[in-house]
Amino acid sequence: MAMIEIRDVCKWYGGFQVLTGCSSKVEKGEVVVVCGPSGSGKSTLIKCVNGLEPFQKGEILVNGTPVGDPETNLPKLRSGVGMVFQHFELFPHMTVIGNLTVGQVKVLGRKKEEALEKGHALLERVGLTDFAQKHPGQLSGGQQQRVAIARALAMDPICMLFDEPTSALDPEMIGEVLAVMQDLAREGMTMMVVTHEMGFARNVAHRVIFMDHGQIVEDTTKQEFFGTPRSERAQLFLSRILHH
Amino acid sequence: MNYHWNWGIYLEKIKGGEETYLSWLITGLQWTVAVSLCSWIIALVLGFLVGTLRTMPRRGVARLCNAYVELFRNIPLLVQMFLWFFVMPELLPRNLSLWVKQEMPAKEFVTATICLGLFTSARIAEQVRAGIQSLPRGQSYAGLAMGFTLPQTYRYVLLPMAIRIIIPPLTSEFMNVFKNSSVAFAIGVLELTFQARQMQEDSEQGIETYLAVTLLYFVCAFVTNRAMSWIEKRTRVPGLISTAK
Amino acid sequence: MLSQFDFSVFKPSLTFLWTGFLFSGNLTLIAMTGGIVFGTLLAMGRLSSLRPLAVIASAYVNLMRSIPLVMVILWFFLVIPLITGKPIGAERSAIITFTAFEAAYYSEIMRAGIQSVSRGQAMAGYALGMTYWQNMGLVVLPQAFRNMLPILLTQTIILFQDTSLVYAIGAKDLLKAAEIAGKNYNRPMEMYIFVAVIYFVLCFALSTIVKRLHKKIAVVQ
Repeated sequence: MAMIEIRDVCKWYGGFQVLTGCSSKVEKGEVVVVCGPSGSGKSTLIKCVNGLEPFQKGEILVNGTPVGDPETNLPKLRSGVGMVFQHFELFPHMTVIGNLTVGQVKVLGRKKEEALEKGHALLERVGLTDFAQKHPGQLSGGQQQRVAIARALAMDPICMLFDEPTSALDPEMIGEVLAVMQDLAREGMTMMVVTHEMGFARNVAHRVIFMDHGQIVEDTTKQEFFGTPRSERAQLFLSRILHH
Repeated sequence: MNYHWNWGIYLEKIKGGEETYLSWLITGLQWTVAVSLCSWIIALVLGFLVGTLRTMPRRGVARLCNAYVELFRNIPLLVQMFLWFFVMPELLPRNLSLWVKQEMPAKEFVTATICLGLFTSARIAEQVRAGIQSLPRGQSYAGLAMGFTLPQTYRYVLLPMAIRIIIPPLTSEFMNVFKNSSVAFAIGVLELTFQARQMQEDSEQGIETYLAVTLLYFVCAFVTNRAMSWIEKRTRVPGLISTAK
Repeated sequence: MLSQFDFSVFKPSLTFLWTGFLFSGNLTLIAMTGGIVFGTLLAMGRLSSLRPLAVIASAYVNLMRSIPLVMVILWFFLVIPLITGKPIGAERSAIITFTAFEAAYYSEIMRAGIQSVSRGQAMAGYALGMTYWQNMGLVVLPQAFRNMLPILLTQTIILFQDTSLVYAIGAKDLLKAAEIAGKNYNRPMEMYIFVAVIYFVLCFALSTIVKRLHKKIAVVQ
């Protein structure tokens, strides 16, 4: 059983179709990069995986649990799936350590001491031990995103979703965030990453999905994608993005 | 609920008189409209004056206008009504004071209109000020650079745009005037709320009374809203998003 | 002209005015608290995806905002005894009325506040596995409340001024106390001026504090 299964998913915003017949899989321990031009639906697709965005047709299964089924306990499902957002979305009215513990205590029901211990351990892992008592507004973008990754990890997720995690960062901070993500991948975390960072895809990903106009156009291994992608659109996209 | 309904009450005659309750309500509506419209005109004139002056570079003038606004904003409308009705005549010179108290026609109406007009003018002044200050600085520079004097810049460049920008808050202010006119009952203006209390006591059919009065207030609010909407459409500047509905 | 005024009547009437002031103050505080709680629920109702709830909440808010406050006061004073079957005092009626009325205005403020919190924040809360109520209570409402605090306080100052309208049902607030004292000592004008000054000083001071608070909050953000 794959960790994430996407079967023939279609989504409409009113009369406008944003996702058409999307199907794919992410096996346990796999790192899959989703790329494509703006408006291709990649952010929408990844938000469908943990039910943040509803979809009208098709099926999505996370560890065997159907996301679209009204019987499914969505909060429970989401607590097991970590998500990192483009704009970090740390809670500004809580301290860094507060951000790391609120989910553990209020959603998972852990005791405060246990949550704090885990929070501090994760902060150390992402290299931000001294920032526990600070507020998100006092951190740089790169630091905030690393805290956001730690916040997702604090929930002990079975897989992680990344929605353009470095797109809102200044160039000099992208590296520190990608480094954390690479470490995660090396440790065997199942990851689905929407990104423009082809370097990351080349180094860390197992597979690459290319989307355009709401459809999955390519879904191949990394080697094949960077070697000889089959579709013209993917080739055009690659040539544009790699010649920065 | 222990209540005796009587929907025909509107056409019945009042106790001890020949008029129908309906005529009371109509009178009330007339006075409400009269007070509201006259106050609105006073409020517009004074409000634009004070609001515009507030944005002038002269410090002393701005402070004075500030004091004007703060004065009317920090005292409840009802208290202001009482001040105008009971206290103001005493502050006038003797002859004028006697004339106001004894011989002035429609004493209650005039007092209520002045009071509500000034009260509302302070709120309009704030909106006009905000509207003018929301315009980019470059607009007044452009006007002055062309050779306009400051008053001309206001007249031809700033105010025309400011007025259009503040039509939405002005609309709700206009609707507020109709609601605030209800306070005039306390000094004896025969407007809708006064009639509501009178009719409720006289007929003992409170629910029917209040329903009719509430409906009439709705009608006023609706007509006002539509009128302002019509003005907004007629004065819309093509291509400017701020005036979209 | 001013020599006709005799302000010496203030001293004996002070305790009486104080009782009236206490009522006005209490009414304001109760209506503010209840109004903000009820208003927040109304705002959440309006923004909810459950259509009937949104429609009802909308209708309530729009209704309260279209009718003069005096009429709402008269309505509640008439209808509450009819529903409960027992007579109700003007003071009790006023408390219920003002809470219900101000809730509509507070709800508009909180609605703007909730909408001012970026969608991503709510998504982040859901992504952690929070339920709707956890998300609201832990993530969205704290931020919404903080953003709108100056406007909520300004509305409370307006509420304080509005309490004078309980005059319509004869409740003994500050203004009514002044009127009664004025009649007792045959000095109505001095009383009205005194009350006007009290209101002015209080409201002006409070609104100055709110302006300062606004500047402080804006800086932190």
